[in-house]
Amino acid sequence: MNDGSEPRMPRRDPRAPRGRVLDAHLHLLDRQVLDRDGTPVTTVDDLELDGIELGARIEPGSPPPTVLAILTGPQLLMRILGGHAPPARRISIPWRLVASVGTTVQLGVGADSLDASWVERWVGRHIIGRIPGGRHDPE
Amino acid sequence: MILSDLLGSDALEAGGRRVGGVVDVRLEISGAPAQLLSATVVTGLLVSPRTHFSTWGYERRGEDGPVVIARLQRWLHRGSFLVAWDDVELVDEGRVVFREGYERLDPMLPQAPRED
Repeated sequence: MNDGSEPRMPRRDPRAPRGRVLDAHLHLLDRQVLDRDGTPVTTVDDLELDGIELGARIEPGSPPPTVLAILTGPQLLMRILGGHAPPARRISIPWRLVASVGTTVQLGVGADSLDASWVERWVGRHIIGRIPGGRHDPE
Repeated sequence: MILSDLLGSDALEAGGRRVGGVVDVRLEISGAPAQLLSATVVTGLLVSPRTHFSTWGYERRGEDGPVVIARLQRWLHRGSFLVAWDDVELVDEGRVVFREGYERLDPMLPQAPRED
């Protein structure tokens, strides 16, 4: 949080960007998330920001907030209808796993390693896998 | 904090006067993209004086097509501005307060991101 301790990141001036500039809503929300092989994983339903404390005064010179994770799952309904999912129910993909951002958000890891794809894995194993021929590619 | 908690918040001056709604959050990816992205930081908040919501971002991009929609969107979001994060004093539920003497910056994006 912004406690005035050692800055984690240098201060940024939006007039003189040193990296790539994005607008969170415009360029990230609702974009498709692909894993390193191009397999669709989910969509960006929301973002978790670190370094903003509600109701606390931000001291001048405090380090800026950072993007912590992509949120998905029940977060889309919360965004539309309001309210908050309990933190334990949130499905998040750490931002450090993101490899690039363009029309889609590309991850640097495989979908199998993410909690966000557990529903697909469960359906594949317990439903599709029990259908005759469901455990191999079409011939 | 969740991004959607910040979007749509009232943007207030230090004296309490409402100057618009927070329609987006400007981010900067530090450094060149490598195998995985380095840290992405919040550099500012985009404020629209008349609405709490922005869809296609015509007011901060140089694109003009389709012309009718672009003009309508620019008119709807006329007077939009960017406030650097350093000029943000307080974030609370449903409101953001800027520091005394905050600066209204040009909201235009330096360059629209494209597929790498």
